[in-house]
Amino acid sequence: MKIPWNIFFHLLLSLLVPLALTLVAWFFRDILIPSNVLLIYLLGVFFVAIQFGLFSSVLASLISAAAFAFFFAPPIFSLKIADFDNLMGLVIMLIVGTVTSKLTENLRVKSKLIENKERKASALYGLSKALAESRSEKEIIHVAVHHIYAEFKSLNTFLFPDRQRLVHYPDESPLNISLQTVDLNVANWVFQHGQMAGKDTDNLPNESCVYIPLNCSLGTIGVLAMNPIELVEEQQQFLETFVTQIIHALERAKLAEQAKEATLKMQTEALRNSLLSSISHDLRTPLATIIGAATTLETDAERLTENNRKKLANAIAEEAQRISDLTTKILEMAKLETGEVVLNKEWYAPEEIIGSALRCLDKKLKYRQINLHIAQDLALIHVDAVLLQQVIVNLLDNADKYSPVEQPIDIFVEPNTSNLTISIADRGLGISENLLEKIFDKFFQIHTESAQSGVGLGLSICRAIVEAHGGEIHALLREGGGLEMKFNLPVLEKPPVMDLEENGLTL
Amino acid sequence: MKNTSPLLLVVEDDPQFRSLLTTTLENQNYSVVAMSTGRDGLVEVRSQRPNLLILDLGLPDIDGQTLICRLRTWTDLPIIVLSARNQESDITLALDNGADDYLTKPFNTAELLSRIRALLRRTAKLPNAIQEIFQVDNLKVDLTKRQVFVAEKEIHLTPIEFNLLSILVRNAGFVVTHRQLLEKIWGASYVEHSHYLRIYMRQLRQKLEIDCARPRYLLTEAGIGYRLYDGEN
Repeated sequence: MKIPWNIFFHLLLSLLVPLALTLVAWFFRDILIPSNVLLIYLLGVFFVAIQFGLFSSVLASLISAAAFAFFFAPPIFSLKIADFDNLMGLVIMLIVGTVTSKLTENLRVKSKLIENKERKASALYGLSKALAESRSEKEIIHVAVHHIYAEFKSLNTFLFPDRQRLVHYPDESPLNISLQTVDLNVANWVFQHGQMAGKDTDNLPNESCVYIPLNCSLGTIGVLAMNPIELVEEQQQFLETFVTQIIHALERAKLAEQAKEATLKMQTEALRNSLLSSISHDLRTPLATIIGAATTLETDAERLTENNRKKLANAIAEEAQRISDLTTKILEMAKLETGEVVLNKEWYAPEEIIGSALRCLDKKLKYRQINLHIAQDLALIHVDAVLLQQVIVNLLDNADKYSPVEQPIDIFVEPNTSNLTISIADRGLGISENLLEKIFDKFFQIHTESAQSGVGLGLSICRAIVEAHGGEIHALLREGGGLEMKFNLPVLEKPPVMDLEENGLTL
Repeated sequence: MKNTSPLLLVVEDDPQFRSLLTTTLENQNYSVVAMSTGRDGLVEVRSQRPNLLILDLGLPDIDGQTLICRLRTWTDLPIIVLSARNQESDITLALDNGADDYLTKPFNTAELLSRIRALLRRTAKLPNAIQEIFQVDNLKVDLTKRQVFVAEKEIHLTPIEFNLLSILVRNAGFVVTHRQLLEKIWGASYVEHSHYLRIYMRQLRQKLEIDCARPRYLLTEAGIGYRLYDGEN
């Protein structure tokens, strides 16, 4: 009922304006000559034309003409006009009024069009900006659903195919503006045929929703389903532009993902190659010793001196241990790489994990001074203790390997506002600055072929574990010489509250 | 001689490893019966009544865990499990199911022998109840009088702290899983509240240890549980 009221209001004003002007002019009728009065009416007609459009202004000019004839053109109080000049003036006023009204009307329509275009342009700009800022398919869909709703006031949803090439709802919980009454059979038909379907389209026009295929150079990548809306042709085009933008963004995200997958594949390939070469070297050498020593013991045991027998047995034990360490590391890395490791997080006291790591290396570090700098009463941390212990063991093992035994190793554990920093620092030779990051690469070894070298996985494992916990690990050169391996673990949550024992109750 | 030596049952499917275990154990004057499947192992436990079982968790016929559960329905036979997988969850499960100790492959035989000795010692003691006074190095715990001494100085513990310590004392030298401790101290509904255990363990260490980060008595087995040092390695 809004629009009739509006028109009524316009018409009322187009009546009132000439009447008001009549009143004003009547007041000044002694100083105004009739042609001036006509100009005043013309002014009113322009005003109405600009404000309310052609129809109202024609109405206003007709009323103005009548009022002029009645009140100002002699004989007064009669619609007759005696004076030819006044008649001419009136006719001209009517023509001018109508022509200019027509012109203003055109202007009005044009400016409305421009306004409309601008609004659309800014809506499109807003969409493409938001799309450009989205980094994942999920974000793009989120942006798209919101913008379509904002622009067309239509509930909508995006449907994408699974492995069986059947489209389904997104995995995320639906937004409050997500369309949830989609017929998936229709959506699948649209997806497979790449054609629009649904209400008021050529296919299945009796459906309650509209289904638009997302067609791009990669083929049909999904389906947009939305509640039907009354669209004039121009808006229809606008919707198409909208959807095209969204499709482009999705296509871009898909291509980026494919590129990422390809790089990952290449990296995996490279990893496999270095793994093979590393296995062939690092496992074969000790195996040669083991097989050699064992076969000697098997065939020549009687002829060997007691001392030599012991030496061979010792060699077998040591080399086997080396193989065991290597295999453990390779397997662990492989597990971390494939993302098979599920963190078994529990609350632990930081000093406890340091302690159990130290105990693992008890024998190795027998003659080494270890200085512990651990803050008192550290908050519990939520971590996978076995993996974290592995990090500390690897770092301690490295510090022990690459620094002289008479130099101490320092362990620092410091709480910060949002994380816990643990560092293990030695007084060895350190490494050159450009290798500080490289040492975390898989299979990277500073001293290749040396007796001390492992397989070059220890630090990569550390990094993978620390990153799985949401932390970072870096190597730093230490003031006064040596290397410091520093990592942090974000403290995201506080340990749950617990009912403590009553303090007074001691034994 | 042969009659008096303890009888060990080995259930391990890998022939080489089985033969290695048999040789090593026989060399230590134990009597050994070795089986390759869980079913045969069960039969032997019933017929031979061994003193100790060494059980590989990855058997081809019966799952090691099932076997432990079945045995525990009728016998307290000491069990050492061997796990090739180095998977803490498997080990914890085996211990929770009733195994007494564990070793992860590869291990050195000296380690195995010391675990066997410790377990046999414990079973030998069992009938006469647990020793009421436990002493190792400077730590002395009197379970009846509920007194704890470090270097002759009496230490005051809260009831929960003492409870925790006494469970470890009763199992000295053996690992007690987090679950077992939580269940015994706080009850079955608390088995997921591992932070309780950490806090009390920290308090206990602060009272009994010189350096909490390098405990001498209250040892951590990461991801599995705690073990009280009993003087043996």
